[in-house]
Amino acid sequence: MSLHESFLTHARGRWIYRAAVLCLIAVGLYVWQDPKAGPNGGTWLGYGLGSVGLLLIVWLALLGARKRSYASRLGTVKGWTSAHVWLGLSLVVVGTLHTGFEFGLNIHTLAWVLMMLVIASGLWGVLVYRRFPSLITERRGNLPVEDIVREIADMDRQLLVTAAELGKDTHERTLQSIQRTQLGGGFWQQVRGVSERAGDGLMSRLRDELNKPVMAAADPQMQSRAGADGNATMMFVASAFVSGEQNARERETRRKLLDLFSRKKALVASLNADVTRRARMSLWLYLHVPLTLALLASLLAHVVSVFFYW
Amino acid sequence: MSAAARAAESGMTHVLLEAEAHLSNTIFRYQKGKHVMAEPGILPLRSPVGFEAGKREAILDVWDRGMADLKVNVRYQAEVTAISGQRGDFTITLAKGETVRARHVVLAIGMQGNLRKLGVEGEDLTQVQYQLDDPEAYSGETIIVIGAGDAAIENALALAEAGNIVSIVNRRDEFSRAKDGNNSAILAAIEEERVGFYPSASPKQVESLPAGHDSGKPLRLILNARDGEAEIYCDRIIARLGAIPPRKFVESCGITFPSADPTAIPAVSAQYESNVEGLYIVGALAGYPLIKQAMNQGYEVIEFIAGRPVQPADEPLLETVFARMPFGLSVDENLDLIQQVVPVLAPLTTLQLREFMLDSVVHCPRDGEVVFELNDYTNSFYSIVAGDVAIQIDPHDPQKTVVLSAGQFFGEMSLISGRRRSATVRAVGGKTVLVETPRRSMNKLLQSVDAARDVIDRSFILRAFQTQVAPGVSAEPLKPIIENSTLEHYKAGQALFSEGDPGDALYLIRSGSVTVSRDIGGNSVPIAYVAAGNYVGEMALVSDMPRMATVRAAVACDVLKVDGAAFKALMASEPAIRERIEAQYKSRLLANAQAEQRSRDGSMIGFLVSQGLGEATDVLLIDESLCVRCDHCEKACASTHGNVSRLNREAGPTFASLHVPTSCRHCEHPHCMKDCPPDAIRRAPNGEVYINDSCIGCGNCERNCPYGVIQMGAVSAAKPKLWQWIFTGMGLAPGTSVPYDKSSGTPKKAVKCDMCKDLAGGPACVRACPTGAALRLSPEEFMELAAERV
Repeated sequence: MSLHESFLTHARGRWIYRAAVLCLIAVGLYVWQDPKAGPNGGTWLGYGLGSVGLLLIVWLALLGARKRSYASRLGTVKGWTSAHVWLGLSLVVVGTLHTGFEFGLNIHTLAWVLMMLVIASGLWGVLVYRRFPSLITERRGNLPVEDIVREIADMDRQLLVTAAELGKDTHERTLQSIQRTQLGGGFWQQVRGVSERAGDGLMSRLRDELNKPVMAAADPQMQSRAGADGNATMMFVASAFVSGEQNARERETRRKLLDLFSRKKALVASLNADVTRRARMSLWLYLHVPLTLALLASLLAHVVSVFFYW
Repeated sequence: MSAAARAAESGMTHVLLEAEAHLSNTIFRYQKGKHVMAEPGILPLRSPVGFEAGKREAILDVWDRGMADLKVNVRYQAEVTAISGQRGDFTITLAKGETVRARHVVLAIGMQGNLRKLGVEGEDLTQVQYQLDDPEAYSGETIIVIGAGDAAIENALALAEAGNIVSIVNRRDEFSRAKDGNNSAILAAIEEERVGFYPSASPKQVESLPAGHDSGKPLRLILNARDGEAEIYCDRIIARLGAIPPRKFVESCGITFPSADPTAIPAVSAQYESNVEGLYIVGALAGYPLIKQAMNQGYEVIEFIAGRPVQPADEPLLETVFARMPFGLSVDENLDLIQQVVPVLAPLTTLQLREFMLDSVVHCPRDGEVVFELNDYTNSFYSIVAGDVAIQIDPHDPQKTVVLSAGQFFGEMSLISGRRRSATVRAVGGKTVLVETPRRSMNKLLQSVDAARDVIDRSFILRAFQTQVAPGVSAEPLKPIIENSTLEHYKAGQALFSEGDPGDALYLIRSGSVTVSRDIGGNSVPIAYVAAGNYVGEMALVSDMPRMATVRAAVACDVLKVDGAAFKALMASEPAIRERIEAQYKSRLLANAQAEQRSRDGSMIGFLVSQGLGEATDVLLIDESLCVRCDHCEKACASTHGNVSRLNREAGPTFASLHVPTSCRHCEHPHCMKDCPPDAIRRAPNGEVYINDSCIGCGNCERNCPYGVIQMGAVSAAKPKLWQWIFTGMGLAPGTSVPYDKSSGTPKKAVKCDMCKDLAGGPACVRACPTGAALRLSPEEFMELAAERV
């Protein structure tokens, strides 16, 4: 047995087994029973499955409270999560059999639909939790996030110092560029991915330009593309190469500045990509939890209407 | 001086012979403005002249006035060259040829007249000095201070203050001999880089450089340092290595020394009388260098001479300690008894023993009562004063025991290795009397009394051998092995032996741990990790082949090197040992072969060791392929520990999706424990290293922790309300780390992981992990983990 054991197989799959037994009993009883009016929520089994389902749903929703009761000794959170996943899945069977397959455009079917949506979003969550944790680690390249942030701050300092050697203009442009650097953003921005990316094509092109210092004039095509990619500062730095009015030392400083810029861009891009992956990993919860609340509300309506108006 | 003052006070005829033109030369030669401490604080002063902690000048002034007020008869510049005679008729010869006759002589010369030198080539060069009168006299120089005591620390700090570039060289890596105040001050200075630091380094050679040398410095100091030899160019070396007794002079007076050891001091009776009747010794030469103690002795010795019995100042304190001793003896009789019965304490002077006992606890366990259990994490040392104890050698069978009786000691294994207790010990017979001494006092003793350390070292070798290599073999056949064993110290990363070397020794790891690595395809691939208490190097001895692997210290290690030839002889005569070693050999051979096939396994070991797991006893490891970055581990920690998380999940490195977060490893020899002035960092019986309420917030532990897992913070009483937060979103979310609020007036204290020792069900971080990513593992499980993750 592995030392690190996933919540899915917690305690050697204890909850898989229990959820399966629950489903089998539900199906068995459903097949075995033979109500006069056909299967529906009003039979003894219907009420039974409904009560079990309701209790399960309320209990499943309590995971949010249990996982924040840090001093609680009531099982481990991992055990709860495992049970949450498997018993939650079993609701597909329990809840659906409770309906007796009587669907319609009413509050009762709405509750069933919401339940299925909650389960579907939960399944998405399970899949995401299986894939993304490794993905985040792989892509980040073993460097802790706080180190990357520190590295970026460090590069900003170096950029300013190097830029200062090249005069006021360059320094100002560099400062502006640093102020424009965006790490992370609002939630949706994180999920979509922060747009400022290092244009790889542009970078290689800049390098090419460096290698042929004497060019007749700035290529207008290149400048327009630079604007489009938001890399105006780098273009500004690079354009000085083209003018050809520089001594060897200045050239070297410029090359260093460009180099720093490109390294920083790569880091910023990778950090933002990391932020995006994390945001995408938690996206499902933003559906799962509100849907759960909607489900609880519709269940209340369903139960009240059944008992008072049926 | 104190003796003369008391003699003057009580109207006795006396003369104080002072070699210098002023009193108290030792303190007089302290550096200007030096703050003189009045340790030990609990001891009352009983001299007719006053003494309180304060500046050197103020103290000298109080003494000078006190001596004048008491009309003490002082002869200055009266250096004594010889003392002869006996009680009632001594003749003291002075350097000027005069003689003084006396009935009693009190020798209070201390040791400062005989300073210890470097003991290496170049020790007598003019820029190498052993005293520092006025640190202000130097500025802008590069100065190396050698030593780890109070004098060295004070000199280094004052020289740095005076505008010199100062580095301090210490043979060890901590300043445990120094007073707490100095200890914190030098650590702070090193931390702030006001003083450079060469830990675990000792001088090898000092060379004088010709004028105009490239370095611009007149001296080159070569050090044997942790990472090999280091060369330092400097203007001046100040070595403060303490002093050794002026043996020649003392012996010429007829006084004998108990051993040939240059640091040995003459034995004195409880009345401070030497083997020459009527010739008394007080102060540093009698084994007690502290001023207050020496002054008290000066007073007491006069009372003894006058025939007025007086109890030492620490008597009431010791009475409390001995209150539990069943024999109804006085303090002195108890001390005598202990010293007669327990050989390891025999080399101590009465005064050292008194101090030792002040820190100790007397136990009288009932028949069958457990002193400590196997795998307990206590690390105190026990001496048996009376009765017997039984050490259980088979964890499964309480009947299999080895009985130790009065005079022997136990508990030294854990004291030295820092690991769990290796056996359960019970009192037997109901007449057992034990003296338990805490780790700190024991370490102090081991550092200052070489003879006691030797006894314990030898016993450690024997017992380590008996438990690890040759269980059930009596001491006699192991004798040649013990005699042919040496204790060696290895720095982290240093090789015990390398692949291809001839196999000439077996290595028992006494403290620390080692990695075993093999050269596979040009890369050094670690294949195993061996912790303290085990041995390595047996393979080459069994097979008579060159070393098949390289063994390196993972952290600083004390290793017992057993001579190969002697060991082979033992194997030949004791077939049981041979069998045991061969079985071990076969299992290692198998493990090596397996490890070669999976080199990733090796890099995993390498990674774990590089993260300090080589000295860990319990560590939090996160499987990043399961971790959904929800931070509930951190929140659980904050929530259960006064809203301050002791864990930083995100920080720390990752290898093959195994993440080592910044969280306490509960080291075998916790670095944090080293310099805790109030001794607030403790190890709980289950191994948790925790900080108790006596923390003064000095920050030493935070600085000393190499893994950055201790922080300064203030716990708060805030209790987030779960349901209020869930339904209204108001108030603190559960698990919020409450930032430090300066206005609360609560001082910041050191906080660290205590492994939730006070919570049922284990660490909250692991219990709160929803996905099973967080685990706490013991060293035994690391290997399993490494093997599993191939």
